Amino acid sequence: MIKFKKTVSKGSRFNQIYVPKNMENLIEVSDEVEVRLVKKHNVFYYSKCLSKLSEFKENLIKDVFSFLNENFNLGQIFIVGSFLTEKISYNDIDIVLTSEKSNSKFEEAAYSKLIEKFNLKFHILSINGKRFQNLLKICPLTKSMFSNFISNKPMKIPSERLIEQRHIKFLLMMPYDLLEIKLNSRAFFDNLRRLITIEKFLKNKNLSMADINGELKNLVENRLYAKIKNNEEIEENSINFLRNIMRTKLKIIESLIKNGKK
Amino acid sequence: MGKNKDMQELANLMTKALRHKIGSIANKDEFYANKYAKDAENIMKEAEKVLLRQNWNNYDKEKIKELLKKRLHKELEQKDFLDIKKFDIMDGEISKSLKKFDLM
Repeated sequence: MIKFKKTVSKGSRFNQIYVPKNMENLIEVSDEVEVRLVKKHNVFYYSKCLSKLSEFKENLIKDVFSFLNENFNLGQIFIVGSFLTEKISYNDIDIVLTSEKSNSKFEEAAYSKLIEKFNLKFHILSINGKRFQNLLKICPLTKSMFSNFISNKPMKIPSERLIEQRHIKFLLMMPYDLLEIKLNSRAFFDNLRRLITIEKFLKNKNLSMADINGELKNLVENRLYAKIKNNEEIEENSINFLRNIMRTKLKIIESLIKNGKK
Repeated sequence: MGKNKDMQELANLMTKALRHKIGSIANKDEFYANKYAKDAENIMKEAEKVLLRQNWNNYDKEKIKELLKKRLHKELEQKDFLDIKKFDIMDGEISKSLKKFDLM
């Protein structure tokens, strides 16, 4: 069989593949040929402030993108979270997929295939493309999550910010509950970060994870910060201390929502 | 801790857990719906600890069910940011959780 490998090049109207000069007598005009994708060319895009990752991490991300593209019909793929910002102390690899059909079954399918292929801990969220664009305007947590990302396609995060009270109140349910009920210490860590993020969003401040963690570190002393981050047991007086911070934050947030600060 | 106090605490925790679960189902367009379903699971685990402190008789079980229904309905009414579907889901979720805890 006559075959050759070439890279697809960009044409003015259509992308194209040229028959090599030395094969022009073997594959001629009007001959029928078959084109098969051998290797997907993967490029990826860093968000503005994200530092370059190690070669190992970049290669892993390339492989993940390539694998997801081959197996699923996706809009855009994002890697977010601590895998991008922490050298080694990340928990898992957070992946956000935009697609027309986004549901828990789709997330589960992608999750299972990724685990099987890479044997690594992934966390997958999928979302409809249109809904995603809206969330980037109204959701403090989503905006913060996308302060750092790597994607398979270019993406500009909208600077526009809309305050949707219903959505913010939905996000405040758990922090309010933690004023009354006692859960593990990591729940306090996550919800304090949630409150800091919401407050910063309402005040139109920087939502980078570093800034959010920085504020939490300022609010609680280092030992307590480490304990709640690692979900270690904490004493009753520490819980009361954390609840007081949460109460103060909730008051500020409620007042910002009420005054409709933009 | 007394049985009545445990009963109140159990109903309180179950109410909150179910509110999160119902919220994650009713507002399923929320990006973080799965996360809220996990919040519900975490609170339910705490409820289970309280559950195991006592032996509940049929009278207690009936009382817990009554408390749970009343409190959950009130909480869902107050949470106007949750989709109205919440009330259609409520009874089914109460039954599921009571059965899981062998309270029904």
